Amino acid sequence: MSLAKDLSNGIYRENPVFKLALGMCPFLAVTTSVENALGMGAAATFVLVCSNFLVSLFRNLIPSKVRIPCYIVIIATFVTLVDMVMNAYLPDLHKSLGIFIPLIVVNCIILGRAEGFANRNPVLSSLADGIGMGAGFTLAMVILASFRELLGNGTWLNMSVLGQSYSSQPLLIAILSPGAFILLAFILGFFNVLENRKGGGR
Amino acid sequence: MNASLLLSTALAAPEGGGSGFDIGKMMAIIIAAIFVNNFVLSRFLGICPFLGVSKQLDSAIGMGAAVIFVMTLATLGSWAVYHLLLVPMDLAYLKTIAFILIIASLVQFVEMILQKFSPALYRALGIFLPLITTNCAILGVAVLNINEKYSLGYSLVNAIAAGIGFTLALILMAGLRQRLEMADVPPAMKGKPVAFLIAGVMSIAFFGFAGLGG
Amino acid sequence: MGEMIKLGVVLMLVALIAAVALGLVNSQTAPIIAVQQEMAKQEAMSRVALNLVQDGDSPAFDSIAVEGLENPYASADELLSVVRVTNDAHPEGIGFVFVAYGKGYSSTIQTMVAVDSDGIIAGTTILYQSETPGLGANIEQPARLITHLDGLDAPDCMLTKDGGRIDSMTGCTITSRAVVNSIREGLEAMESAGLFDDAGMVGWQVDPPPEQDESIEEAPAASDSTMEETPDVGAVSEGGSL
Repeated sequence: MSLAKDLSNGIYRENPVFKLALGMCPFLAVTTSVENALGMGAAATFVLVCSNFLVSLFRNLIPSKVRIPCYIVIIATFVTLVDMVMNAYLPDLHKSLGIFIPLIVVNCIILGRAEGFANRNPVLSSLADGIGMGAGFTLAMVILASFRELLGNGTWLNMSVLGQSYSSQPLLIAILSPGAFILLAFILGFFNVLENRKGGGR
Repeated sequence: MNASLLLSTALAAPEGGGSGFDIGKMMAIIIAAIFVNNFVLSRFLGICPFLGVSKQLDSAIGMGAAVIFVMTLATLGSWAVYHLLLVPMDLAYLKTIAFILIIASLVQFVEMILQKFSPALYRALGIFLPLITTNCAILGVAVLNINEKYSLGYSLVNAIAAGIGFTLALILMAGLRQRLEMADVPPAMKGKPVAFLIAGVMSIAFFGFAGLGG
Repeated sequence: MGEMIKLGVVLMLVALIAAVALGLVNSQTAPIIAVQQEMAKQEAMSRVALNLVQDGDSPAFDSIAVEGLENPYASADELLSVVRVTNDAHPEGIGFVFVAYGKGYSSTIQTMVAVDSDGIIAGTTILYQSETPGLGANIEQPARLITHLDGLDAPDCMLTKDGGRIDSMTGCTITSRAVVNSIREGLEAMESAGLFDDAGMVGWQVDPPPEQDESIEEAPAASDSTMEETPDVGAVSEGGSL
């Protein structure tokens, strides 16, 4: 089924972070804890699904010359919406994601999918694509955040995993900014190895 | 009369709490934006162009110049719209939309002007300009300036310094990657992975600036 | 030219719809945000003031205007404002609560502080920080630094390496110093405004507070909700809209 394909596409085969290298800024910045990663993932997925839906719905009405500004306005509207709702109901998460909520606007995944997919596909598959890409983005963030939180703080989703003795002397660099770059480098390297194995068979 | 009023609003700190312009604070902002909280290596803003345009030294310099230029103009525009339009009309919640539209139209505008009046500069910067709209460092600096409640003067200083910090990271990265061309990188780490690894090491190096001002 | 107008109209329309939609949502969420910020502030004030009162006694808070109170937080573009804490037994006051603003490593750290009428710190809590996770951000864990502040007065509220009595958190001198110094600056400003009286509970001069005993409890909507509101609203909206 093609809907299922649209849905699964973003999770592995065209994973926005690991395969397309899009949306790097929030990806690196908010992965200091799994909780933040999940919050950011939910917010970005919501915006992605909504903007894909609207862009696809009005794809024949929006003149192509001003489509990019229109997309930007649509995306920015949903981002502001998320910002307000999160501030009202999840103030702690809102505080810790900070400046990266307004910056969802310039997350290239969202504009990229609006321009590259929703723009020329029917509503249902655009929705599926939005959910898939959002899930792939969230999954990627949770993977990196798990490494960083576990190594850098000894916890996972705020639950102590490696014990008190580790938490008092953790591998601090994992949670600091260099750790994000270095761990991501190795994760990408791992995916490269997987790819090469697969390619090598042919 | 009206103009002088505007000017005094612009120079005074928006919250009324701040005094005038003091050099110490300005230096602290500059050092923080370039080194301590470098936009790319510590705040993770502008990663996409950082990776995309850092393969050649020439294009890195071009991109850096374009970012500094647009960042300064965008800060000017967003500051004016926020404090002279959105706040008085009680519409501060529209700031994200307003800022991104300012940046997008600014980029378009700069592109048109350059094309018309300075073809040489346009050829140098032209291909980088469209990329800048989705550079989160630009929107980031505009939002940060509002959050930190900087006056117009400090906002501009912060914007220029942030642009210089971005350019510095970009140029360093481009230099390293040009050398890397000749290095023997394990196949698994070729391309993006090794670029991130380098960025990680640079980020560690920038930690050494932590004691400065800040 | 006709094309241009059409494009312009489309853009205008899109922007208009977006603005109206956001206006509607904002009118729904803004009161919730205000109430929730107010509750968070009340909760924080009750928590820091815990040591000022006896068990089961609930303190009341009202902002006061103090003559001659200098603002030490101009460099953070914030104001010092003082809330008086009273309870039934001492309607004249048992202490004060204020918010200190200190420039840390990567953010302006906001600390709420309760002091008794002699200027001795009775409790502190971090309201906002965005320091490095794993390092400066540990300031949020009270045992790492801020519980050690309880019982100190202004001269002692300084890092050991600056000649005071507080050990900084390992590897986070900048963050520690920002918090400790900002609190001391606030205490000193209050002291020189004559809020602390060595003789004890009575005798300090307070400007006649505006007639508004409970005003903070229900303040969010009140437009002139005293100077004490201003810094806090900025505080919580730090990350985003409003």
